Amino acid sequence: MERITLSINRQTYTVDVDPNSPLLWVLRDQLGLTGTKYSCGIGQCGACTVHVDGNAQRSCLISVEDAADSEITTIEGLDSPIGQALQRAWVDLNVPQCGYCQPGQIMAGAALLEENPTPTDDDIDEAMQHNLCRCGTYQRIRAAIHAVAEGAEA
Amino acid sequence: MSTLTRRDFIKASTLTGGSLVLGFMIGCTPEEISATQVVNLSPAATQPPTPGPGQTATPPPPATPEPEPGFKPNAYLIIRPDGSVTVMAHRSEMGQGVNTSVSMILAEELDADWDSIRIVHAPADPVYGDQVTGGSQSISGSYDTLRVAGATARMMLIMAAADRWGVGPEDCTTEKGTVRNGDQVLTYGELASDAAALSVPQGAVIALKDPEDFTIIGTSKGLIDNPQYVNGSAIFASDMALEGMLYAVIAHSPVVGGAVVSFDASAASAVDGVEQVFGVYGGVAVLATSTWAALKGREALEITWSEGRADLSTESIRKAIEDRVTLRGEDDNTIEAVYEVPYLAHATMEPMTCVAHVQADRCDVWAPTQDRQSAKQVATSISGLPSANVFIHVPLIGGGFGRRLQSDYVSEAVEVSAKAGRPVKLFWSREDDIRNDYYHPFSFNYRRAELDTLLIRSSSSLASGLQTGAWRSVENFPEAFATNCFQDEVAARAGIDPYVLRMQSLSERQQGVLQLAAEKAGWGQPLPEGHAHGIAVHSTFGVTHVAQIAEVSIEDGVIRVHKVTCAVDCGRVINPDGVIAQMEGGIIFGMTAALYGEITIEDGQIQQSNFNNYKLLRMREAPVIDVHILETDNSPSGIGEMGVPPTAPAIANAVFALTGNPVRKLPIRLDQSS
Repeated sequence: MERITLSINRQTYTVDVDPNSPLLWVLRDQLGLTGTKYSCGIGQCGACTVHVDGNAQRSCLISVEDAADSEITTIEGLDSPIGQALQRAWVDLNVPQCGYCQPGQIMAGAALLEENPTPTDDDIDEAMQHNLCRCGTYQRIRAAIHAVAEGAEA
Repeated sequence: MSTLTRRDFIKASTLTGGSLVLGFMIGCTPEEISATQVVNLSPAATQPPTPGPGQTATPPPPATPEPEPGFKPNAYLIIRPDGSVTVMAHRSEMGQGVNTSVSMILAEELDADWDSIRIVHAPADPVYGDQVTGGSQSISGSYDTLRVAGATARMMLIMAAADRWGVGPEDCTTEKGTVRNGDQVLTYGELASDAAALSVPQGAVIALKDPEDFTIIGTSKGLIDNPQYVNGSAIFASDMALEGMLYAVIAHSPVVGGAVVSFDASAASAVDGVEQVFGVYGGVAVLATSTWAALKGREALEITWSEGRADLSTESIRKAIEDRVTLRGEDDNTIEAVYEVPYLAHATMEPMTCVAHVQADRCDVWAPTQDRQSAKQVATSISGLPSANVFIHVPLIGGGFGRRLQSDYVSEAVEVSAKAGRPVKLFWSREDDIRNDYYHPFSFNYRRAELDTLLIRSSSSLASGLQTGAWRSVENFPEAFATNCFQDEVAARAGIDPYVLRMQSLSERQQGVLQLAAEKAGWGQPLPEGHAHGIAVHSTFGVTHVAQIAEVSIEDGVIRVHKVTCAVDCGRVINPDGVIAQMEGGIIFGMTAALYGEITIEDGQIQQSNFNNYKLLRMREAPVIDVHILETDNSPSGIGEMGVPPTAPAIANAVFALTGNPVRKLPIRLDQSS
């Protein structure tokens, strides 16, 4: 066990933890930030997507030790204008079904729009290719990302 | 005004049968309701706090909410003095939108303000009758009951207002959570305590709305749980934490049917954070202070397993089933074919998980289950406690698709908690989930037709080998695949358009959806070079009729699905956008099965383990989906599973049109078309 200090959602947390533990389990089990989900543990599904220094990353693949020097944002701290607009669009377009993968989808979508405010369908497919949805909400996710991009443009 | 007491009403209702049985279903005394309320811990109440700066979190014990006052006319509704309307959601919400559609039916007949609806997940309770969430029957099986429940509450609120004003109930109207008489207005909240003092009126006098007057049923509502899904505050069983809870994983046999012969726990116990290691039914449990420590502990276990079914392989299973399918041979007038569907996994995004707390005098289980009554039986049996002391709480569920009709993971959690003497959260990794599923059966479907009469004979055979269970649309999936692909083979041999062939033999409602889908897709119209349409229609469980037309091309040896046009007749539509969403999701689910889904086995071991080798469709591959609802005045008939069956055969028939090779096996492989 090591004492590690993390910066998450602009707050500082100190945790006693196995430094090799994936960030995912520290967020969920130790810090109670359960909006970040487990589904595969091998970077295949994107349910655990968080922002690491603004980039969408799979928290199941990052050790807590490696996350210590970065600014982490989870779905609970996604309060940027784009993040909020995406959450509204997700509700307006009735995107979720079971809802389990959606925090990860929104985190991936937010990182995309921060970098590319007017993505094409191909850009969206590229950015969202790491995120699985078993309920099959892909069309609506794409539409919601476009809606936010167009809203920001108007 | 009726002077029957509630008890009398329930008694009378049970004795007289018929529509009054409905009264019994919803008749429930306030005492019964509050008893169930007390044990229904709201998932939100157990959410761990977000720790403050520099702090580490300690999850709090679950708070037991005080029973609040309110008007509880039946088991489904509580109207509180603040005007909020609590819906006791009696079926499991797993993405199919049942919390929303159940609320819409209640709110319609109650004339509630939609924004006043709050959801509480109901416990396993006989007052709700069968609570199994399967067969897409939540709405078809509850529609009449829910309408009566809402209308009864509305009638009692009217009676309370009429008493207050000294007018007749017939002088009063209701609108958006209020009762009105001319300029006089009282909110449901203001009337709640008066209404609670009234006797529940008899079934026969409950007036239901004319469907033409519906203002909520038939309008599109987003899922009532959406706000909590999008900000991460929705609490699934995976997200729960109880005071003193340990995180548990179980090492399951790597070979089907294997059992623990012996194990050495010393290395596992030495892992930092591991607190307990012990044998359980089917494996060895490792309990730790975090999921990560439990997983590390499991890796360190040394277990000797019995051989199990090491003889099982996909080929041995196929051979056994092939021997049962007799091909009789074709001639100029007959055509026959066998259609093969492999074992398929459910792969819900939230793997199987369950929180259990077995104590000396009670057992609480937070079970993401589609069958809370089965979960209760299992928990009762394993805990050894009286049924009355066993409480099943059903949180939001991260996908079900039939997997959660099984209670294996509930049983594990209860056993582990009982042995550990602690609350536990049982965690299944994705690998546990894929390798310990109750798979869609490996099946062969035989079809034979005489071309002159177009008479088709069919039979089906299921393989024995792996454990199998209900998988979204169950037998409708292989049936629709075989039937629709064979129809196209017959049509090709007979020189008839596949659409025309189907229209000759379909029922009126099937014809309706097929015609609508064909119109919307432009069946028979020119398509871009290299594209083809494939068509399929199926009536899942015989009740909901869905036609789909897939536009497909083959690019560099890869099947590309560009668009799926879908028409659906599910009778009366409660939530149109909910129907559209379920068709969209069903099509994506069907596409995964058409293009990727396949569980195989070698030396008794499942060969797939995670999403790298059990692939799900990704966004890049998702087609344009165009859904059209053909609303009819038939009873509402279910939508959760019905989008799935036509998709694979529609794609397969397009591939047949493009290549000239019929598709007889899923997943579709271009080099395997026979």
